Amino acid sequence: MEILKIFVVEDNELYAKMMHHHLSLNPDNEVKVFHDGKQCLDNLHLKPGVIFLDYSLPNFTGIDVLRRIKQSHPDLPVVIVSGQEDVSTAVELLREGAYDYIVKDENAKDRMWKATNNIRENTELRQELDRLREEVTSKYDFSNIKGNSPAIKRVFKLIEKAARTNITVSITGETGTGKELVAKAIHYNSINNNKPLIAVNIAAIPKDLLESELFGHEKGAFTGALNKRVGKFEEASGGTIFLDEIGEMDTQLQAKLLRVLQEKEVTRIGSNQVIKINARILVATHRNLAEEVKKGNFREDLYYRLLGLPIELPPLRDRGNDIILLAKHFVDAFAKENRMGKVGLSSDAQKKLQSYHWPGNVRELKAVVELAAVLADEGQIEGEDISFNSTSSVNEMLLEETTLKEYNRKIIQHFLDRYDKNVVQVAKKLEIGKSTIYRMVQNNELDI
Amino acid sequence: MSKIYDLSQLEELAGGSMDFVMSMVDTFLEHTPQQIQELQDQYNDGNLVQVGAIAHKIKPNIDLFGITPITTTVRSIENKGKAEQDDAELKEEIEKLRETLEVVFDQLRELRA
Repeated sequence: MEILKIFVVEDNELYAKMMHHHLSLNPDNEVKVFHDGKQCLDNLHLKPGVIFLDYSLPNFTGIDVLRRIKQSHPDLPVVIVSGQEDVSTAVELLREGAYDYIVKDENAKDRMWKATNNIRENTELRQELDRLREEVTSKYDFSNIKGNSPAIKRVFKLIEKAARTNITVSITGETGTGKELVAKAIHYNSINNNKPLIAVNIAAIPKDLLESELFGHEKGAFTGALNKRVGKFEEASGGTIFLDEIGEMDTQLQAKLLRVLQEKEVTRIGSNQVIKINARILVATHRNLAEEVKKGNFREDLYYRLLGLPIELPPLRDRGNDIILLAKHFVDAFAKENRMGKVGLSSDAQKKLQSYHWPGNVRELKAVVELAAVLADEGQIEGEDISFNSTSSVNEMLLEETTLKEYNRKIIQHFLDRYDKNVVQVAKKLEIGKSTIYRMVQNNELDI
Repeated sequence: MSKIYDLSQLEELAGGSMDFVMSMVDTFLEHTPQQIQELQDQYNDGNLVQVGAIAHKIKPNIDLFGITPITTTVRSIENKGKAEQDDAELKEEIEKLRETLEVVFDQLRELRA
């Protein structure tokens, strides 16, 4: 637990001594007593975590000191301690930014103790929040998006430009190319990075619930609306809303979304009250939205409103050496996370990774190399440790560059395995003679 | 004469540390006689607002030392001083405060001896 510096500003020697003693009972408190407001103001550079301030002081009144503290340290909690229970004074002080108002009665010491504990908890939570915010920001720092290929460098430039303004950004790319990562990089590098980023996956929410999810609803607005619910647009106020898989939205809701974007306001279902929204919009889709417009699946007016700055993410197969760079990055991160020590990537493994067509893109690469890192012996991933899950073994087989005879053997073996070694069925499927298979079995070319 | 103070609140606060209780007694004996003298002087000079302010400062100490015979008196002096209300009773209340505290001072000095 961190030391909490407490300033006690109290001209009554006896009361100051009592407060010092009481608050020092917690060894994690460091209590400093000042007998007037000036001394307190002169020592603010010592960065107290909380100030207990007597309301009646000799040179400045408590309210004067409070105002001066709040001018220079608006977030510093100041607890007013007063000999008088005066509601109007208490209200005024709380309005001026006092954290609490404690009367010097028999409950005073308990309330001071509680206030200190609450402030300590709040401070720790705030520090934790700042730390996490920094961690998230650094996680989505541009430098953490890996890649040196010209295709991805073009994307980096666009991300930087997008982060500088609050323009709507439409991110497209095949599945697994990192659309969400790009959305996060844009948000966490923008000036609103301390505001929320609310991500909504349109494809993951049932059609009937989507409107209420996005715009909110009032209690009783429809069957099952047991409580009032704030929509995602409201939640994202001041920050960013990321609408992933926007291409999956049905046309009826597209019309409502268009209106929200045009008017910059939402109305919760079941309410007449209009709520202003000021969230930045990021959208993503794996579909070609222009094509969807042509097919009549996506509204043209909404398409143009959402297009903003288009960022198209290249498929991994078009990123050349990025495959190896990313593979090494994922292996290193996985090894570190699992305390595995250094895990290398043999040239054979690298060749195998580069020859593959990566339909699942970066997401697939990550899964493949993490599995390979687990299977690898002696800290080195070999070609045989790498297996591709998303495609058939035939595709994988084609990467091996062998002879036609060997390809034939592998294809027949593959079908024998699939059809439970049923030679008749395999021969029929492949339109070859049963005798061909039996001959190969006899020559030990096939395993049956 | 029986004790007219009660140190139980202080003892509870001290959590068993008699050193702390005694150091509080010392501070009380060091500062309060001066404050009472000042209160009397301000009253004699007709500075009632100051009388109220000093009573306000003494009030929590009287509560802390459990001097119950004058807890109401000190509040009355504070309120009348602040309101600049010099009625017939104020002089008597100040007198009562002073006399009671002098007894408490003697009793506490005895405790320290």
